[in-house]
This record gives sequence, structure tokens and C-alpha cells, in this order.
Amino acid sequence: MSFLRTLIPFDIAAGLTVTGRYFGKVFFSANRKKVRTRIKHFTQEYPEVPVNLQPRFRGRLTLLKDEQGEIKCVCCLACEKICPTQVITIEKGKKEGRKMPFPVQYDFEMERCIFCEFCVESCGFDSIILNHQFELAAYNREDFSIGMEGLGQNMFEPSPVGKYSVAED
Amino acid sequence: MFKNEEMEINLGPQHPSTHGVLRVKLHLDGETVTKCTPIIGYLHRGVEKICENQTYFQGQVWTDRMDYVASISNNLGWAEGVEKLFGIEVPRRAKYIRTMLTEQNRLASHLLWLATHALDIGAMTVFLYAFREREYLLDLFEAFCGARLTTTAFRIGGLREDLPPGFIKSAQAFQDRFLPCIDEYEELLTENRIWKKRTVGVAKLNAEDCIALGVTGPVLRAAGVPYDIRKAFPNAAYAEMDFEIPTRPEADTYARYLVRLAEMRQSHRIIQQCIEGLPEGPVMAKIPKILRSEVNEVYHPIEAPKGELGYYFVGEKGGTMPYRMHVRAPSFVNLQALSKMTEGRLLADVIAAIGTLDVVLGEIDR
Repeated sequence: MSFLRTLIPFDIAAGLTVTGRYFGKVFFSANRKKVRTRIKHFTQEYPEVPVNLQPRFRGRLTLLKDEQGEIKCVCCLACEKICPTQVITIEKGKKEGRKMPFPVQYDFEMERCIFCEFCVESCGFDSIILNHQFELAAYNREDFSIGMEGLGQNMFEPSPVGKYSVAED
Repeated sequence: MFKNEEMEINLGPQHPSTHGVLRVKLHLDGETVTKCTPIIGYLHRGVEKICENQTYFQGQVWTDRMDYVASISNNLGWAEGVEKLFGIEVPRRAKYIRTMLTEQNRLASHLLWLATHALDIGAMTVFLYAFREREYLLDLFEAFCGARLTTTAFRIGGLREDLPPGFIKSAQAFQDRFLPCIDEYEELLTENRIWKKRTVGVAKLNAEDCIALGVTGPVLRAAGVPYDIRKAFPNAAYAEMDFEIPTRPEADTYARYLVRLAEMRQSHRIIQQCIEGLPEGPVMAKIPKILRSEVNEVYHPIEAPKGELGYYFVGEKGGTMPYRMHVRAPSFVNLQALSKMTEGRLLADVIAAIGTLDVVLGEIDR
């Protein structure tokens, strides 16, 4: 009996049935598309199909404006203090017709940012959020230094998506 | 014509089955290993020193980057260690959520271990199946805290936010489909003769050697010692959970595989109990905005997927940063056993030994 068991690889056949079951589920069915939706596919066709992100996803830091188009930030420097990698630099200033301090400069060095969301947590005025962006690669180091002004790459607008990471054809 | 001499070769640091940047210096006599020296330090970032220059709130982000496949366990150790230092009591709901997430992270870590260990030894199929389930868990972490790997999940005093809507539902959906998946892995590997040839009796390390070398975690439990921090020094909500410590007497690679699979079933049980008994209430304790410590020292161990993960804090008077922070990383201590396991064995067994120790180089080098 043990001789037979050595000769015929039952144990490997048992493993192959698992593989075969999954293969058969898709291959031997008339409507393959229907089966694909039933067995949930975990592979996403990412660059062609956009990724589903969860609402709490932590992406790039963005400054918010209120309804009047005013910057909400009042330069309390809480985000600058809590940041574990010191990527935020704020320069305080004054603007006419505004009681609260106004950020003349809000610099964000994305190359060192670790996307921990401590800055958003510390902000008492809800003036910053992390948006849902993750395609943040760039060719030049300067592209990671984000300030209040800049062409397409500033603290208010999301970084240009598709410029580097997704090929258009 | 033929010279009879020992050959010295390097395994790694770019070898795919050394799980990162581990370099192993091997002295070979034919195909037998006569001496084996792991050389580490290629991923050293100085996490302990960085944490000494950051406040207790900030330091947590560096713990994510130590054992990056089990970052929630690292977060738990940090948060509970600091809470012990300051005497903060965490709400019960927060404790339950912490326990649930840590166990889910243990599943994710063990699934990654199973996938890569089987891939190293030559079983490709399990890799794909194990990553399918891990994907589901990482989606849960993303829903809870916004990141899949570098989670920064907990805060000192509890949690930042409660569970997102729909989290319990998707966690329960995972619970329902996970047990048949473990059966699938078992069907693929447990009785497979190639798997058994590569693992049974390979890289043995008996209980005395384990204790002498300080090895903890599944490696120690596979040697027949039922030592688990979750039972020995219960933290989070483990004291209220009903689970067993799986052990095996064989102390070889195959036994460690069985212990880890049994542990996955126990983790599944713990998560189920957390979901069912999740209490209502707040998730954050009232803590001051700036934590100022007294002269005090604390060692807090937790059971990470790889073994005993301990955080050691020394507080300064009135200081907002730890005077000294030290991590007892399980991978670092477990790696000591590599030369004991492999010397006198074949070269191919070194790969199995590295895989069975489940080392993560981010944690070894810190």
C-alpha cells in the first residue's frame, strides 16, 4: 500500500485539484465575464482603470480656502511643530482687511513627507487636508518643493496627474 | 587536480530569498555549510536615536518603518509603552479595536510569511492565494487609518477616530471567507511530498537552544514551549479573549509552518470575539496636550507576529521626549539562531532556515 502511495502522487494531486478548481471555474463556463464578477478579482487594471481609494486615504497635503476665496490658515504653526520630518515652513504676514495672520509663504517639501496626517490632526481651523493623490513621482527634485505659487504644482491645486505616471495613448 | 578546500561565499545582500538586505557569509565544504555568519546593518536608519529627538506623539511614525509588514503591532507596542510610562488608562472600546486590528495585522504578516517562504522553497501557487487574502486585509487597514503599510494606526490614549462606517461589515465578510482559505493552503502544502522533503527535519532548534539564544515567537512555540506574551503578560484586551497557544514538539521547519497556520486560526477566533463583543463608548482617553514625564523607566513587551517586541523608555524630568528609547526587535534576536540552525547542514537548507525565522530586515537594522 505504501508502495502504491509512493508511486502515485496523491498528495500532489490534492494540491492540483485546488488549482484546477479555480481554473475550471473560469475556463469551463459559458459566460466568463459573469464568473469573473462572482469570484471577486483582486487584480486591478490600474493605469487604465482608476483605483478605488478609501475615504480616509492619506495623500498629498493641500491648503484649503473658504467660500470667499480666503486662505483658511491663520499661521498658528501647529502643523509645523508636530511634523515628524519638518517638511512644513510657514512665514507669517499681514494682509489688509484681515484680522488674523496670513501665511505669506507656506512651503511643503514633499520629498521628505511621510504622509502621517499629524498636521491635519493638529490643525484647529480645518485649513489643511491630505487629498487622495498618490501618483506623486517626478523627474526633478525641484518638483517636490511645493509653495503657494507655482505652475500647476502649488498648495491649492492637486499635483498634475497623468503627467508622469500614466501614459496617454 | 581537485583542491580540497573550504569556499567562502556571500548569500545576499541582493539575493531574493534573504527577504531584504541580509548578507550571510557562508563557508562551504562541498555543499555542506561549515560556518554561517549573518551580516546586518545595510538598512540602518537610526530609529532609536531619531525617536530620542522627537516627542512621544511624533515617535510613533518611525515604528511603522521598522517591521513594515506588521506595522500595527509596532504601533501597539509604542502606544502602550508610552501609556504605561504616563499611567494613561485607555477606554475599553479602543482596547477592543486595537486587539482586532493587531490580530488582523498578524494574519497579514503570517500570510506574507507563508507566501514568501513557500516561494523560496519552490511552491509558487500559495504565493498567489495568500496575497489575495492579504489584499483584503490591507484594504481594511486603508479604510481604518488611510494607509496600507505605514499605518500609524493608534494614538497615545486610544485611537484618533472610531471605526469607519461599514468596517465591521467588511471585517465580518473577511472572517466568513478566511477559514476555507486556510484549508486551501493546507491542501496545497501540508501533505505535499516536495514540501515535506524540504521542511521536515530541516533547521532544527530545540527548546534549550531557543531559550539560550532568546528566540521567541512561533520558533519557540514550535519547539514545544507554550510561551506567548498575550497569555503571559496580557496587554490590550487579550485578557478577555478566549484562545489557545498552538505548540508542536518537533522543532523543525515543518513544525513552525504548522504552528503559524494554527496561530492564524486562533487569530481568526480572536477577531471574531472582538467583532461580537465590541463595546460602545469613547475611543480616546483625556490626555494633556503636552506629555511631560518624570524620571521613570518602562519596558513593555507585546507579542508581535515574529516574537516578543519590547519597547524600553527612559523618561527625563519634565522632558517631552524620551531620554532613551530602545527596541527589542524579535527578528534581530531570532536571527542569532541562524548559524546554530544551519551549520553542518546543506546550502539549500539555509534558504529554508531564513524563511522559517521570518526575519524582516527593517526591524533587524532599525
